[in-house]
Amino acid sequence: MSDRHRPAAGSSRWHLLARPDVLSGLLFIAVAAFGLWLSRDYPIGTALRMNTGYVPRLLCWMLLGLGAIILVQGLRAPPTRLMPMPQAWRAVLSVTAALVGFGLAIERLGLVLSILLLVGIGALATRALKPVETAIAAAALIVLSWAVFIFGLGLTIPVWPDW
Amino acid sequence: MDFAANLAIGFGVALTPANLAFAFLGAMVGTLIGVLPGIGPIATIAMLLPLTFHLEPVSGLIMLAGIFYGAQYGGSTTAILVNLPGETSSVVTCIDGHQMARKGRAGAALAAAAIGSFFAGCVATALIAAFAPPLARVGQSFGAPEYFSLMVLGLVAAVVLAHGSVLKAVAMIVLGLLIGLVGTDGNTGGTRFTFGIRELTDGIDVATLAIGVFGVGEIIANLARPERRRDLVAQRIARLWPTREDLRRMTPAILRGTALGSILGVLPGGGATLSAFAAYALEKKSSAEPARFGHGAIEGVAGPESANNAGAQTSFIPMLTLGIPGNAVMALMIGALTIHGIQPGPQIMTERPALFWGMIASMWIGNLMLLVINLPLIGIWVQLLRLPYRFLYLAILLFCAIGVYTVNNSTAAVMLAAFFGVVGFVLMRLECEPAPMILGFVLGPLMEENLRRAMKIAGGDPMIFVQRPISLGLLIAAALLLLLVALPAVRGKREEVFQEG
Repeated sequence: MSDRHRPAAGSSRWHLLARPDVLSGLLFIAVAAFGLWLSRDYPIGTALRMNTGYVPRLLCWMLLGLGAIILVQGLRAPPTRLMPMPQAWRAVLSVTAALVGFGLAIERLGLVLSILLLVGIGALATRALKPVETAIAAAALIVLSWAVFIFGLGLTIPVWPDW
Repeated sequence: MDFAANLAIGFGVALTPANLAFAFLGAMVGTLIGVLPGIGPIATIAMLLPLTFHLEPVSGLIMLAGIFYGAQYGGSTTAILVNLPGETSSVVTCIDGHQMARKGRAGAALAAAAIGSFFAGCVATALIAAFAPPLARVGQSFGAPEYFSLMVLGLVAAVVLAHGSVLKAVAMIVLGLLIGLVGTDGNTGGTRFTFGIRELTDGIDVATLAIGVFGVGEIIANLARPERRRDLVAQRIARLWPTREDLRRMTPAILRGTALGSILGVLPGGGATLSAFAAYALEKKSSAEPARFGHGAIEGVAGPESANNAGAQTSFIPMLTLGIPGNAVMALMIGALTIHGIQPGPQIMTERPALFWGMIASMWIGNLMLLVINLPLIGIWVQLLRLPYRFLYLAILLFCAIGVYTVNNSTAAVMLAAFFGVVGFVLMRLECEPAPMILGFVLGPLMEENLRRAMKIAGGDPMIFVQRPISLGLLIAAALLLLLVALPAVRGKREEVFQEG
């Protein structure tokens, strides 16, 4: 499971940034800073009577420190780079869009149309799926979900649109 | 004869037709997802968590537990036949198991894995039955400071025993603790990190987070990664029963693996994966002919497979007796208990003996079922491996969506899962192991509550944690663990154990 590989030639400043440890250090610092900013008005209280902000702010400071150490270590470590994933954007966008579409549709359009929506958008995530295969998958999943969730478990999800 | 009476209660519950059916269903689903790469027990249990709401608590837990240990069985099948670990706990099984398959001994390898797993499962079930009651009694004497220190020890151990960078694992735990605080502060009524979104004031559901990070995140990662070629051994599996020579070699390996897995499983952060890695290292070290390893040594299959099953099952001990999850799956089990309004902790055993002992008895029955599901039906599972991922991911994505929606009947939860899916993918890309985050998430609110109570008892003096002997002992253990992992010699060993894969 090796997702990293060594760069071929010397590393510019940009390559320095593309290391997993450097990026995760920056990510943790950013999350911590965001958390500190969000909790700026939370009452802290004292150790005896901890108020809403006590523990969150404590944790944010810890995360900030950890992120900084990870960042420094990442900069000093021997160079490793993220494996390029040219397909990643496609997968990220279509999977997220499929879920958001399903979430918005389920209450109004019902299970059947929501599944069609999810499969239709989700199928865009990979080039490997042929249109015929997508259609078969959608049909099979509709039958399966109805059998398991509606017939089998008796969940009260609307199956058809509520006119 | 308390023990016999308790087991009688347990089997009385576990042997009802409905619970037998749920144990079987769990074992089946567990084997299925164990065989299929790209979906693991964490995502599956998270997806099915909402469904257990409609079941009796004990039936739900029996099914979820079956999925967890069933996945350990199923994972070995893919490891041996396709050189592709169905679960991370089967990564080491690939090394020698697949070599055996290539030499035409797939049957013996599968049998060694199944027999080892069954033996380990039986031993681990007996261990839970024997050690849970005394541990729960210890737990009942714990106050807030002890609980807080115990959780600190648990989180530290989770870091030390996880693989990958220690610092990143600590950061992931802190991140999980922070996500756990989202929502309304139960003590003061103030809201935290809710961005003014109404749905967030109740906090984030553990199933939503786990489905997002492990279900959706894994789908994105698998799609983004170029598909790996599957090297299926297409032979007919002629001979399942191992030869006398095989039996002679695998018996001590099974015993060692079971012992090691049982111990490591109890430790927080332990469980199946660590046990398997450690058992492989142990077999190789203790073997008279270490050169055979990597070329189809049956000990290299029997040891780790026994260990991962033993570890998977003994990791229930801290969850059932102290209410403290040792790994992400146990964190979800706690979620399943709280869905039913059952407060996890030492009182479960005394207040709900039927639930407790029924679940333990079902584990033994489930292991027996798994032996039947796996060995004679192996051909069916092999066929499933031919199912390409491009069909699989659509089904997984749909079950994630329906699962999340039914937890809270809310559209917002589905959006949140999509968000955590992207977060999970980014974390995986940055080589940050997400499992410690789930642990932190579940323990976050508990730790805050116990910290507050402890401070109130002590009048705001943090010295209380070192003045109470049990609490001090737990903290010293945590400090020792941290020191150990900082020592260069130990750090090298730790990396070595995880390098075997």
